[in-house]
Amino acid sequence: MTVHEFRTRPGDAKRGDASDGAVLADQVGGRLSRVDGPAKITGAAKYAVEQRLEGLTHAVLVESTIAAGRVRSIDTAAAEASAGVLLVLTPDNILPLRTATDWLGTPPPDVAYCPLARDITFSGQHVAAVVAESFEQAVAAAALVKIAYDEALAIVDLSDPKAGDGIPVDAMTKEWGEAETAFASAPVRICNAYNTPREYQAPMEPHGLIAKWQGDQLTVWEPSQWVDGMARTYAEWFGVPFENVRLVSPYIGGGFGSKAFAYGYGAVAAVAAKMLGRPVKLAVTRPQTFTAYGGRAATRQTVALGADRDGKIQSIVHRGVNETSVDGMWVEPLGSVTSVMYATPNFSSRQNVVRVNTVVPGALRAPGENPSAFGIESAIDELAYEVGIDPLEIRLRNYAEQDPHAKKPWSTRQLREAFAAGAEAFGWSKRSPEPRSMRDGNQLIGWGVAAGTYPVRRAYGEAVVRILAGGSVEVESSSIDMGQGTYTILAQTAAEVVGVPAENVVIKLGDSRYARAGVTGGSRLAGVMTGAVHKAASAALDQLIGLAISDPASPFHALQANTLVVADGRIASPRGNGPEVSIAELLRSVGREHIEAKGDTMPANSTVEDRYKNYTTIAMALPHTEGDYSRYSWCAHFIEVRVDEDFGTVRVSRVVSALDSGRLYNPKLAESQWKGGIIMGIGQALLEEGIVDRRYGRIVNNNLADYLIATNADIPDIEVISVGIPDPHSSVLGGKGVGELGIVGVAPAIANAVFHATGKRVRDLPITLEKLI
Amino acid sequence: MTSKTPTPIQLQINGHRHELEAEPRVTLLDALRDHLGLTGTKKGCDQGQCGACTVHIDGQRVLACLTLAAQAEGRAITTIEGLAGEDGALHAVQAAFLEQDAFQCGYCTPGQIMSAVACIREGHAGSDEEIREYMAGNLCRCGAYPHIVAAVRQAAVEATS
Repeated sequence: MTVHEFRTRPGDAKRGDASDGAVLADQVGGRLSRVDGPAKITGAAKYAVEQRLEGLTHAVLVESTIAAGRVRSIDTAAAEASAGVLLVLTPDNILPLRTATDWLGTPPPDVAYCPLARDITFSGQHVAAVVAESFEQAVAAAALVKIAYDEALAIVDLSDPKAGDGIPVDAMTKEWGEAETAFASAPVRICNAYNTPREYQAPMEPHGLIAKWQGDQLTVWEPSQWVDGMARTYAEWFGVPFENVRLVSPYIGGGFGSKAFAYGYGAVAAVAAKMLGRPVKLAVTRPQTFTAYGGRAATRQTVALGADRDGKIQSIVHRGVNETSVDGMWVEPLGSVTSVMYATPNFSSRQNVVRVNTVVPGALRAPGENPSAFGIESAIDELAYEVGIDPLEIRLRNYAEQDPHAKKPWSTRQLREAFAAGAEAFGWSKRSPEPRSMRDGNQLIGWGVAAGTYPVRRAYGEAVVRILAGGSVEVESSSIDMGQGTYTILAQTAAEVVGVPAENVVIKLGDSRYARAGVTGGSRLAGVMTGAVHKAASAALDQLIGLAISDPASPFHALQANTLVVADGRIASPRGNGPEVSIAELLRSVGREHIEAKGDTMPANSTVEDRYKNYTTIAMALPHTEGDYSRYSWCAHFIEVRVDEDFGTVRVSRVVSALDSGRLYNPKLAESQWKGGIIMGIGQALLEEGIVDRRYGRIVNNNLADYLIATNADIPDIEVISVGIPDPHSSVLGGKGVGELGIVGVAPAIANAVFHATGKRVRDLPITLEKLI
Repeated sequence: MTSKTPTPIQLQINGHRHELEAEPRVTLLDALRDHLGLTGTKKGCDQGQCGACTVHIDGQRVLACLTLAAQAEGRAITTIEGLAGEDGALHAVQAAFLEQDAFQCGYCTPGQIMSAVACIREGHAGSDEEIREYMAGNLCRCGAYPHIVAAVRQAAVEATS
């Protein structure tokens, strides 16, 4: 077993840059370089399916080629006779599994679970799997599995005439005032429809796993945004205790919402490993990643804004629809930004879901907030032109001084500051207001603005902190780092609390044997885990100082001090009298191997059951409007586009974004994550679209050459400005969410800039050239 | 002999000779990762679209997923594991990637770095615009592109000074 340990390297900058004042890079708020960086840039970092195991076998999935119907027969003879084949799994011979609890904690129905389908509800569904001695043998044999179907009529997408209006989701309804009446009587009325297509997470590391059984103990190496939640699912599928499943995920090659759950292919690999008595590796192919789990659902919204002639909103009427699968339920909350961004006395938002023959959609960076912002932030731009007010000014004119829905004060809302800082850095005051009024040769230039927001999702976490004999500090947590910087910010937290250099802190993450953590999603992990590590490290420090003061063998014993200080790994009296010794010397003198403290942020009276539920479901997550405040991160994007007048091609040429994520635990890494969100937003605005072949209900661009994500050549320099202030109501150390915020509002800012450049309003993403010429 | 019969293949990787038994249909990428345990070279798409598997063959950047292992026999292969010095000292491009925070999840990173080394060597790192164009074959879903450009620029300047 590889031990995943990181230390900062000598030579890393010790101090943050001038923008951090005197914050040491080692401390919370410092610009420490990624502590997991050296492993990643040298190729030493071992991702999930890169484990080398004795007797490893290789599984390849066989998927449905129809979108609706039933498997009539599966002919496995040729595949079974193929060289190296060990097992061909079908619905007929797979071991029965139990249905697992869902992520909300809903007790499962008492029915068997089969990850291979007889009843087909989407194209690309797993029907069979081939396991062979080598990858090449498995690939070759999988092509020999012959499946005959009885095909039925599929509902291919939202625009299919058979799709209908769908099912109302009452839990999504938000209403106050008399929205429809107020809209009807408003002096200025605009009402438009905004659509977003299917979009995919497309992490660079395709999903996959290695599963290995030893008796009734299962080890799974699988990239995971939720080690404990996925371990629970595997345990429940196989009817073994939670403790019998070890899920290992020290590195995750990108997730963006897609790696929080155990999916059907995971069950296939684990079943095959059990049936064969050998470890099985199953690497989902890139094309299969488009159907082995769901991307962002396609959405439709109508936004009606009623306003007075000064642009002050009197009513918002919002209706949304998202697609879901035939037998699963995914709700993309389309009214989430609509209901909080602007002050309005009258509001109504309702949402339906429509069943179509697709894999059940899933979470993709800012699920809900992202498409929601595309609707409202496009609509208010349209209102600005309608009443002849600057798009920035109209946003300030309708500024929500409190949460309009929850009717509670914001914990912190630096959105006005974001508008000001972004506008200043961008040069917004030089904008010529008329569409098509700025150009450079045959390029039309447009400047657009849009705001974004994301709620502060809070939960609980736990961590173990050890002060080791040599004076170093070790932190263990089953939380994960998929690139957000968990390793680094937790090293900074422990270093600051205990009083050691960050290079003397070892962070161990991504193993269900460690202290538990909930899901890494919804931008909650950093706030949760810095709080937990802070608490555990404080407890460890208290033990250390307690020993130094009271242990008869301590060199400080005679001092009769009330307290001692630890800095740079050395213990001393705060008044400077008495001895100064290293942590290692103290532990040696009192005869201790190490000091260990476990800290968690759970309520003090929590039971064992509470803890299990908290870490393996999201049932105990705290609402962002809990208590006296409404908690959100905020941002404002200012974007310049250049549109070729002849060809309609759009290039983003400049981005300035000002963001309020509260206190930043590491600005260097937070800036990277913000920019990453903005870049994904540029791709969403201009490139990304899952295209359905309407004859077969199949995603035809299921690869990275045809499903276009932004490349380096698509992206200009991006300036990000932090306008956050510490928010004590959002987290222990004052941070709010970072990861999802950056993408929210980018697509409407680009659509608004395209309108400014061309005079054409595109309300269907992505904004491709045929929509402009 | 058929395409499915394992045959001995000798590969010269990072200055060392490696021998393996593999079917002729085994790609260089799978040979590196599955047969030789050199997993620093990543599989992102296995169809030549993402750049995560970029290695150098005789100094040229090549996609290991579109190269059969047998095709690389007798040629000098360099992977991410061979970039740092024998003493572990980071290559200038690696150091620049760390300093500029030119990656997040790290999965596209070995391919980006191998491409960046070649991009500089090819003389295609003369401006940010040129770097963006000649690094466009390496996808990064975390969106580290501006920092990748900064790292390549920094390493290119160091290489010429």
